[in-house]
Amino acid sequence: MATRTSAANWKRSLPVLFLTVLAAMALAPRLAIGASEAPLQPFEVSPAQDAASLFQTQCSACHTIGGGDGVGPDLEGVTAARDRDWLARWIIDPPAMIADGDPIATEILADFNNVPMPALGLSEADVEALIVYLEEQDGGAAAAPTAAPVAATGDGDVEAGRNLFTGAATFENGAPSCRACHSVAGIGGFDGGGNLGPDLTASYDKLGDAVVTWPETSVTMRPIFVDKTLTDAEKADLLAFFRSTEVTERSAVVIWQLAGLSVLGAALIGLVTHLIWRRRLSGVRAPMVGRRS
Amino acid sequence: MDIRAQVSMVFHLDKCIGCHTCSIACKNIWTDREGAEYQWWNNVETKPGTGYPTKWEDQDQYKGGFERNNGKLKLKLQGKLATLANLFHNPNLPTLDDYYEPWTYEYEHLFTAPEGDDQPTARAVSLITGDYMEIESGPNWDDDYGGSPVYAANDPNLENLSDAQREQIQEIERVVFFYLPRICNHCLNPGCVGACPSGAAYKRGEDGIVLINQDKCRAWRMCVSACPYKKPYFNWSTGKSEKCILCFPRLESGQPPACFQSCVGRIRYLGVLLYDADQIEAAASVEDHDLVRAQRDIIQDPNDPEVIAAAKANGISIAMIESAQRSPVYKFVKEWEIALPLHPEFRTMPMLFYVPPMLPVLAATRDGQYEVDGANGSDVAAGSEGLAPLLSSLKGARLPMEYLASLFTAGNVGDIEAVYRKLIGVRIHMRKETVEDVTAEEAEEALAQAGMSAEMAEAIHKLTALPTFDQRFQVPPMAREVAVETRQHPERHKREAGFGPVIAPRRRW
Repeated sequence: MATRTSAANWKRSLPVLFLTVLAAMALAPRLAIGASEAPLQPFEVSPAQDAASLFQTQCSACHTIGGGDGVGPDLEGVTAARDRDWLARWIIDPPAMIADGDPIATEILADFNNVPMPALGLSEADVEALIVYLEEQDGGAAAAPTAAPVAATGDGDVEAGRNLFTGAATFENGAPSCRACHSVAGIGGFDGGGNLGPDLTASYDKLGDAVVTWPETSVTMRPIFVDKTLTDAEKADLLAFFRSTEVTERSAVVIWQLAGLSVLGAALIGLVTHLIWRRRLSGVRAPMVGRRS
Repeated sequence: MDIRAQVSMVFHLDKCIGCHTCSIACKNIWTDREGAEYQWWNNVETKPGTGYPTKWEDQDQYKGGFERNNGKLKLKLQGKLATLANLFHNPNLPTLDDYYEPWTYEYEHLFTAPEGDDQPTARAVSLITGDYMEIESGPNWDDDYGGSPVYAANDPNLENLSDAQREQIQEIERVVFFYLPRICNHCLNPGCVGACPSGAAYKRGEDGIVLINQDKCRAWRMCVSACPYKKPYFNWSTGKSEKCILCFPRLESGQPPACFQSCVGRIRYLGVLLYDADQIEAAASVEDHDLVRAQRDIIQDPNDPEVIAAAKANGISIAMIESAQRSPVYKFVKEWEIALPLHPEFRTMPMLFYVPPMLPVLAATRDGQYEVDGANGSDVAAGSEGLAPLLSSLKGARLPMEYLASLFTAGNVGDIEAVYRKLIGVRIHMRKETVEDVTAEEAEEALAQAGMSAEMAEAIHKLTALPTFDQRFQVPPMAREVAVETRQHPERHKREAGFGPVIAPRRRW
C-alpha cells in the first residue's frame, strides 16, 4: 500500500511541480537582474588568437594598461608588482582566490567597489600568453592607453542622456537605445525598460566612468555597437545621466507602487474568476453539516 | 413504431433488509481498483436521508437530468455552447467531500508497533493521499437514521411535507424509514449520454445498457454532472468516467448481475421490456403529474402481434421477444402497475422500477393511550376509509403519501395511492386465504378499491413472496455474436477471449 499511495502523491504533486517550473521560467530573467556576482559564462577562445586581441576582448572592458583605473585596476606595471605565479592563478580563477581569502585579492576587491573579477574561462596557454603580453607592455615603451574611458566631464546633459537612454533621442550612429535591453530607475514606466540586459540602476557606483565605454568593450554588447559607436558627446550625456541621483537608486515610492499594483491586479483576477464561476458547486455536505453547529 | 428491447429491473422495497450485500458484491467485482475506491455502482440508502453523494436528489445544486422549456426537453446542466465554454472547468461537479474520502486502515501497524503499555491501533489512512485522516463521512453515513438531525432532516423529498407530517415520521414508537438500493437506471433518455461532449457515453442498441467507452472518454465529466442519479463516477487514477455496466459480461453468459444474484431479500427482478423509441421524446416532455403514465404507455405489450412484427422488423430476435413475454418486470410495471420509476421528474425515463414499501402502522399514541393500532384487527376506527383494519388507512400511513409521491411519481399522490391500494388489496386477500381473520366481504371490498381481481392479487403474491430464481431473472439471450459480427469476425473475437480490442486507458501526466 505504501508504494501505491506514494505513487498517488507523486501524481498529485505533478501539476504543482509543473506550475512551479513555469513560474521559475517566468521569473528567471528578473532574478538575473540582481545577480551581478554570477560568473560570466565561459566561452571558447581560439588558441590562434594573439595576445593583443585576447586582451582586447577579455580584459579591456575593465582594465587599461596605463590608461588609469576603470572597473578594475590599471595593469601598467602589474608584472613587476605581482609574482608571476600569483598572476597566473588569479587570471584563471579569481573567485576561487577571493574565496580562499588571498590577502592581495581581498584588498583589490575592497579597492574596487567589491566588484569581483569574473572567471574568464581561459586556458593556461592563454593566460601564459596574456602574461607575456603584459610583460612586453611593461618592458616596452609606455603603451598608448587602450580604450580609455571618457574623462569624467562635467559638460554632459542629464536630460539629453535620459532621452538617449529611453530612445526619445536617437544615437547619431544609429545605435539602439539603452532601454531596448536595460531597465533603470527614474525613467518612468513600471520597470523602466527591457529585461534582456541587467538593470542599470546604480550601475555608476559599480562601474564608474566605464559604464559608457561598456558597449564598446564588453563581449556581449560589442557586436551590436561595433559599427554604431557612440560619440563623445553622447557618452558625456549618458554619463551625466548615470551619475544623476535619480538613477543611482530606485525610489521606494516606485517599489511600493509596483507592489500595490501587483496586489490589486491579483485581486482583480480573483474577482473576475469568482464572478464568472460564482455559481460553481463548491460542496453540498460541508455546508449542510456546518449549519448544525 | 420503433420497437427496441431494454433489459429492465424491478426492486421490491418491501423485501429490502438494508444489508448492503449487493453493494459489496458489486464492489468486489468492479470497483476494487485504484481510483474507483469511492465509487459505489450499487449503493443502499436509508430514506428519509440524503443518500450518496449527499443530497443527490437536489438538482437545484447538481443540475442533473432534463427540464421542460416551452414544452421541449433541455438538459438542466447546460446547452452545447455552455458545454464548450465550461469544458475545462465543469462547474457542477460534486466534490470528493460530497461522496466521501475513501480510506483503509493501517493494519500493518498492529504487527509492527513497538512494545508498549497500550494496545497498538490501526489508524485510518486515506486511499487517495496515503495520509492519516479523520473519517468524517462515508457512502452510507446516514444508514439507519445515523446522524438524522443533519442528514435525514435535509432529505430533499421532505420539502413539500407539512411540519406535522415531518414530525410524524420521527415520532417515537412510529419512527419510520426504509431502504432504497440504487444502481444505474439505464435510462431511455440518459442525461449522461446527452451531455457527453466526446460521444463516449452510449446506450447499447440491442439491450439498452448504458455504457461509457473508456477509449473515447476524455474526462470532461459532464456525465457526472448531467446524471441526476449521480451514477457515473470519475476515476481519478485512469482519468476516465465509469459507471454501472449492469454486469453485461454476466448477462451475456446467462447470469443475472452480481447485485441481483447476491440479494439476500430477493428483492430484485430482471427482464426485458419492449418499448417504442419514437415516443420517448414526447413521453419525457409531458407535465410532471403525467410522467408515470406516459412512461408506462411507451412500454409495449410483447404479446401484441403488431408489436412483435415491428420488433422483428427492427432485428430483435424471436428469443428476445419470447424472453420479454416471460419478463417479471413487464408484469410489475405494466400489467399490475405496482412498480414505479424513481424520480420520473428528472425526465431521463429510468428503466429501474421500484415497488414502494408498505410500512404499515404498527402502533400509535391516541388520546394519551399507546395502542397497537389494528395489528390484531380490533381497531376498526383507524381504517377510516372503510378498508379492513389490518393496514389502516393511507392517510394514517407512517410515511406520508406525499413523501413517496415525491420519490416515485413526481408528486402525483393519486398514482402512488393507486399502487398502495393494490398492495393492501393483495395483503388483505392473502390474509383472508391464509390467516382467515378477514371476512370475504372485507377482502372483496379491498380488491374492488384497488380495482383488481383475486387472480391478479394471487399472481402478485406469488411473484412477490414465492418466486423461483428463473422467475425473478429472465436474462434474455443477448445474442452478442450478432453484435460482434458487425465489428469483428466472431472466431477472432472468441480467440481474444471476449475482451475485444483493448486499449488501456492512460493518463497524460
